[in-house]
Amino acid sequence: MKNSNVKIPAKILLTSVISVCFLASCSDPTGEVTVAVDPGPRTYTAAQAEAGADAFASNCAACHGSNLQGTQLGPLLTGDDFLAKWGTQTAGSLVANVKSNMPPGGNENLTDTDYVNIVAHVLATNGMIRGSTELTENSNIEIAAYVAEQAPAQARQRPQPPAPTGLVISGTVENFVPVTDASLRDPDPADWPMMRRDYGAHSYSPLDQINTSNVKDLKLEWVWSMKNGDSEPAPIVYGGVIYLINPSNIIQALDAKTGELIWEHHTGPANRQDMRNIAIYNDKIIQATTDSRLVALDARTGEKVWETIVADVGKGFVNSSGPIVADGKIIQGQAGCARYIPENCYLTAHDANTGERLWEFNTIAQIGDPGGDTWGGLDNIFRAGGETWITGSYDPELNLTYWGTAQQKPWSTVSRHLTIDDVGLYSNSTVAVNVDTGELDWYFQHVPAEALDIDEVFERMLVDRGDQKLVLSIGKHGILWKNDRVTGEFLGFKETVFQNAFTNIDPDTGLITYRDDIINAELDQWIPVCPSSTGGKDWHSMTYHEPSGIIIAPLSQTCLENAAREVALVAGGGGLASSRVFFEMPGSDGNMGKLGAYDVDTLEEVWNYQQRASFHTGTVSTAGNLVFVGDLDRYFRAHDVTNGEILWETRLGTSVQGHPIVFAVDGKQYIGVTAALGGSSPRTVPRVIAPEIQHPDAGNALYVFSLPD
Amino acid sequence: MKLITKLVSLIVFTCLTVSIVNAQSTGYRARLSELPVSPQTYRDITGVGEVFATLNGSTLSVNGSFEGMSSAASAAHVHNAPKAMNGPPIGALEATPLPAGEVGGELELTAEQVEALRNEELYIVIHSENNPGGELRGWLFLTES
Repeated sequence: MKNSNVKIPAKILLTSVISVCFLASCSDPTGEVTVAVDPGPRTYTAAQAEAGADAFASNCAACHGSNLQGTQLGPLLTGDDFLAKWGTQTAGSLVANVKSNMPPGGNENLTDTDYVNIVAHVLATNGMIRGSTELTENSNIEIAAYVAEQAPAQARQRPQPPAPTGLVISGTVENFVPVTDASLRDPDPADWPMMRRDYGAHSYSPLDQINTSNVKDLKLEWVWSMKNGDSEPAPIVYGGVIYLINPSNIIQALDAKTGELIWEHHTGPANRQDMRNIAIYNDKIIQATTDSRLVALDARTGEKVWETIVADVGKGFVNSSGPIVADGKIIQGQAGCARYIPENCYLTAHDANTGERLWEFNTIAQIGDPGGDTWGGLDNIFRAGGETWITGSYDPELNLTYWGTAQQKPWSTVSRHLTIDDVGLYSNSTVAVNVDTGELDWYFQHVPAEALDIDEVFERMLVDRGDQKLVLSIGKHGILWKNDRVTGEFLGFKETVFQNAFTNIDPDTGLITYRDDIINAELDQWIPVCPSSTGGKDWHSMTYHEPSGIIIAPLSQTCLENAAREVALVAGGGGLASSRVFFEMPGSDGNMGKLGAYDVDTLEEVWNYQQRASFHTGTVSTAGNLVFVGDLDRYFRAHDVTNGEILWETRLGTSVQGHPIVFAVDGKQYIGVTAALGGSSPRTVPRVIAPEIQHPDAGNALYVFSLPD
Repeated sequence: MKLITKLVSLIVFTCLTVSIVNAQSTGYRARLSELPVSPQTYRDITGVGEVFATLNGSTLSVNGSFEGMSSAASAAHVHNAPKAMNGPPIGALEATPLPAGEVGGELELTAEQVEALRNEELYIVIHSENNPGGELRGWLFLTES
């Protein structure tokens, strides 16, 4: 296929230009918003905006802030961020989205008119054109068209400077040795060259210089402040250099020994959104962007080598996780597949040297395709979900890449006009895909027809035990699944936290049976279930400590009540569509965080450690018999792999979030971890259940620790 | 031989005594925490508490405390439902009519309710003036001691 070398997508350019004008129109020395008046059709009325302000204050301000500035519970709704997300979508679609999804806890007293008025208030606060024509649910005019064409003169005199783009800091990684397939299959012990260090997603380091005897002496070696914004980063380390993904699609190369900056590249958009991971192959850093592009940078210099568009961000496609490189192919997942549009939700493979698209694997079975009859007769356009928003793993010998898929959308069965028998392949499954062809080798659907936003999308861990080739995963239900990764055959399961979604899990087949009230749930009916949408387990990876044969997983113990909302089968519509409230998991004694260790052979729990604060990093284990993990309450700790005992702890500037790394430079071992902010359910749920846990709302940074010389 | 007989008798007596005590008095504990909250409501549904309960025969004695509620307690009940589910009240408790205080009382349980208790299917709710539907809730779990 043809490579798309696009410097700046036209829509983004247009949006940026418009947003500068529109931001300018918002600025006023008095703090009052200056609103242009236009009698044309692209308007809302003053009365609508005024009424919307009251409704917003009562229902939205708790999360989005009284001035739409955003809080730890909800994003800001103004400026570039708002326009980047909504500028190319219609005002009607924004009304529909808000109506389907907001407020998260639901409010049956809100009328259709209230929702329209709330959107009018958002437009007004953004300084968009007000007039005599009322905004309606059916408005088919793009949001960007509401931006004032003539910004007030006083505002034009101090426009917001554009965000820098491209290579902002120049430098060169000296003595760079290209990354080969062989070095990715068997990484140098000193390196952490991919998100979870190896193709099997073990998050395990063979380094043992830091061990149970001396970890108590661990000291801070250096710290590097990161860019502001949402951040869930997994740095990688290769040849003594840390490649660090920052919010706003910014990558930095740092000297791993000293923390000195070598180069910095701003790919953009500068939207403060997060990307979990990047990849390295040959002499390139491979970056997925939050607006669904793939970009290759020269690992030595940070210069852009190629760029290609994976999907159209204007249609809702986004990315929050980056690729895995397998046999010279970049394999990238997709997120944001909740809209009713003709485009599919897919995995793509790209040539690592050029970005050329090699194949697609559609995670949503279409009419006439195998599995296409599992969607209850819905037209293809109304088959949504199946996102691959967490990076997969890879078995070079089997030539298969393993990915988890998200659930069908909207979240609840009744909202998507389906029944519990409409399982919706290949949602909520493990899919094993041929790396050369993109063809499905096998699938195993863990939770067919998932009904409560409890997906099974997270990392697939590949473990060999004797002759057995296993793939293990834990989804939001908190169930540790064990399958044969050659055939997909179900081999066993273990409930790692309390769950009451299922009345039975067949021990021979793994087939789940939902509770009757979940099966028969109607619109607006509150259904309680454990765990909540934050898991069980969420995106924070688990580790496999091969020497002891145990998996150690960061788990979460909360529950929710879910009420499905109505979603019309209308092209361009869709969404998530549930009201949700959250509570402590009974029996957890208020401990949201659980570190659970499980024997891979028996799946029995070996030990667990529980605490009030939820865990927000992946777990990483080492040959020094340590497991590292960080939490919401700013603690970063080392536990004894054999029993969970805390052997060392420190407290960082803000919540510890991301993925720890273990590496060595010049024969000395280091431990790195990020403090970070932002995220969805894993942040929102602890925030409302344990509001007493406070942390600064700034402080993204990379911390590196070592033993004294 | 006499010594062995005495020893066996002692063991049997001890076992019997323990089982009788267990049958007569079984301890339970509940952590009370907020009923379901959202970003809209978590500042209005607040508090924490701890309740201990003892089952003597079919009599359930409840004693505990709570604090930090958004307003004064207005009522308290024992409800019947599996963990994390919602079920009907089966009896009333007394609660200090303040945002913090004590909660307790005695209930005569039916055989089915005793079985529900053993299955960890009884829970306590404290209602408040601001949250008449309930503000704090917790399931009774068998204590180890």
